[in-house]
Amino acid sequence: MTDAAISVEGLSIDYVVGAGRFHAVTDVSLEVPAGHVVGIVGETGCGKSTLAQAIPRLLPEPPATIGSGRIVFQGIDLVKVPLWKMPALRGTGISMIFQEPLNSLNPAYRVYDQLAEAVHIRRQREAGRSRVDPRPPPPFDYSRRPAPEVGEALSRPIVPAGATGALARKMRERHPELRDEVLDYLRLVRINDPETILELYPHELSGGMRQRVMIAMALSEKPALLIADEPTSALDVTIQAQVLTLMKELIEEVRTSILFISHDLGVIAETADELGVMYAGRLIEFGPVAELFDAPRHPYTKALLRSSPTRYKSDGPLSSIPGAVPNLSRPPPGCRFHPRCPIARPVCRAEPPPALLPADGAGPGHRSACHFAAEVASLP
Amino acid sequence: MGRSPSDLAVFVGKRLLQLVPVLIGITVLTFVFTHLSTVNPCNQWFPHSHGAVLANCQHMFGQPLYVQYGEYLSSLAHGNLGVSEAGIPVNPAIVNGVPATLELVLAALFLMIVIGIPLGVIAAQSAGRWADHLVRVFYLSGWATPTYLGAVIAAIYLAPYLGLPAHGEYTNTPPPFRQWTHMSVVDALLAGNLPYTADALEHLFLPAAVLAFINMGIATRMTRSSMLEVIPLDYVKSARMKGLTEFWVMYKHALRNALITTTTVLGVTAGGLLAGTVVVEEVFDWPGIGQYAYYAIGGGGATPNFDGAVAVVAVFAVGVVVANLIADILYGILDPRVDWR
Repeated sequence: MTDAAISVEGLSIDYVVGAGRFHAVTDVSLEVPAGHVVGIVGETGCGKSTLAQAIPRLLPEPPATIGSGRIVFQGIDLVKVPLWKMPALRGTGISMIFQEPLNSLNPAYRVYDQLAEAVHIRRQREAGRSRVDPRPPPPFDYSRRPAPEVGEALSRPIVPAGATGALARKMRERHPELRDEVLDYLRLVRINDPETILELYPHELSGGMRQRVMIAMALSEKPALLIADEPTSALDVTIQAQVLTLMKELIEEVRTSILFISHDLGVIAETADELGVMYAGRLIEFGPVAELFDAPRHPYTKALLRSSPTRYKSDGPLSSIPGAVPNLSRPPPGCRFHPRCPIARPVCRAEPPPALLPADGAGPGHRSACHFAAEVASLP
Repeated sequence: MGRSPSDLAVFVGKRLLQLVPVLIGITVLTFVFTHLSTVNPCNQWFPHSHGAVLANCQHMFGQPLYVQYGEYLSSLAHGNLGVSEAGIPVNPAIVNGVPATLELVLAALFLMIVIGIPLGVIAAQSAGRWADHLVRVFYLSGWATPTYLGAVIAAIYLAPYLGLPAHGEYTNTPPPFRQWTHMSVVDALLAGNLPYTADALEHLFLPAAVLAFINMGIATRMTRSSMLEVIPLDYVKSARMKGLTEFWVMYKHALRNALITTTTVLGVTAGGLLAGTVVVEEVFDWPGIGQYAYYAIGGGGATPNFDGAVAVVAVFAVGVVVANLIADILYGILDPRVDWR
């Protein structure tokens, strides 16, 4: 238990909107072992983003309220930490990559200023000027991949002369050590010619470049836990592939603990060690990726795997799950999946399944929340 | 067009050229309206005069209006703003009054920025809660106060209560130093006279505070609403996730983007501030062009001064155009996505 980068225990989050109450996350328990990549998949609206943002207490409270549960990070229960103390835990403790690279960089500041700010915060904390002193983060290793060779044409500055450009450059030269480190991180995310990128504003970069900068910014704090909230969903397919390749390489190189949120099973299959499946606010299955893909122990996971296009050639129409995602203000009684479940029986309507039990005949660490987990294997 | 300094120069040049039609329009309108306001002015103003004064007046007003305007324009082209009906030239009054008014307006603008904008941020942060309502009560009461009422209340009740002066620029006028700029605080500072600087600041405070209080609502309200638009955006979240404290998240990351709208609106309020000076300067006996305008249109039983009124209106028009130009330049500096065009 103690070597988990973060462990979430019985977390429930409601949105109180007017007189209604949306149970966005109900009784979710999961754990990210140190150095592991844990994926969370689920349909839109299943509560995975809410979970991701609840961990660093980023949700606006109200309307969101954390009803019960614990989020244990480095021995601290984040649910009990007052909000004004949270900044000390963010950044170097927990860092995050957002879905929309268009919006996640501040349009008013140059790339350098935003990256340098992150590096500066980490340096301040490393120097002991922080309220909370996290354990030393896992070491970073750039040595495996030398900085890419940059041609003369690329390294020539092509910065448009902005009205404040000269002043900004002058400020930059005052902190060469910050600048060097920022350049290191831009090279880490495979940006050619980082010297030019430094001087640009986010709107002058493409979506893929912005997401790279965002990843560099998150990594430059050397976080103990990195949360990636659908980092590739908002990008073009080709750019998605590039960013995903980058993420995979970085996971190899950086060895930090990552909670990877996605609705794309393919992305998760390529990156994660363990996988959690969420449905209607509940975590319904959790296990090692390979095993979960081979032998799912929940009918929803099975249906989800069948309905995702896996090959470029199609063999018949794509299967879909009958029915619709339940309304989270009045979730169905019992098991939330029962109205759409092919093996539902009366007990499923009456009783919620026990939370994540080890499934019969499944490997270690593979747990599912289904009354009839053993029968799932026999489903078509 | 792009964002290089030469683009900025072209932009400023174009906008200043727009001043020419604005000035022609504004002088035509004010000239016509002032000259139509009084029937047979010479007999009204100088009922007991004879000889030269009356003859001069009748010579001035006896001609068709377009001839009078033509004469006015030709004297204007020589840098002469005209002569009052009592025979006093307008030029020195404007030259001495503009800096005093500018000082008052800038002080009010300063108060609006350092108080109004943080209040807007506080209101946005606590949207829907008591601090938000408190701020709204504050700026709405300012907005709802007529200038004359606010100024009179401040001068009569607030001034003795706070122990602040409510008349003129200095306690003892004229001050014992040369008034280079005719801005009271700046002059005292230039002379190195600290007691007079403090005295000038005390005199400046109440009129500027009244002007600021009445016009502050727009700054606070715009800041609040644009902050509410900015705060839910991802880049504010990513600023939080860097580990920045809420103060820096708000004032460095969110406000920087919210200010873009506020700046534009502050440029527009320059008109309101200048209009407010007419009443505020009269109530606080501030020797600016607002007070001059009050007397030029016959306030306090003074002989009307048509050329003076036209001159003040023209100066105000220039002020509004320049304020909007500055706001547009700041807009481009605050938002790197904007081209100057």
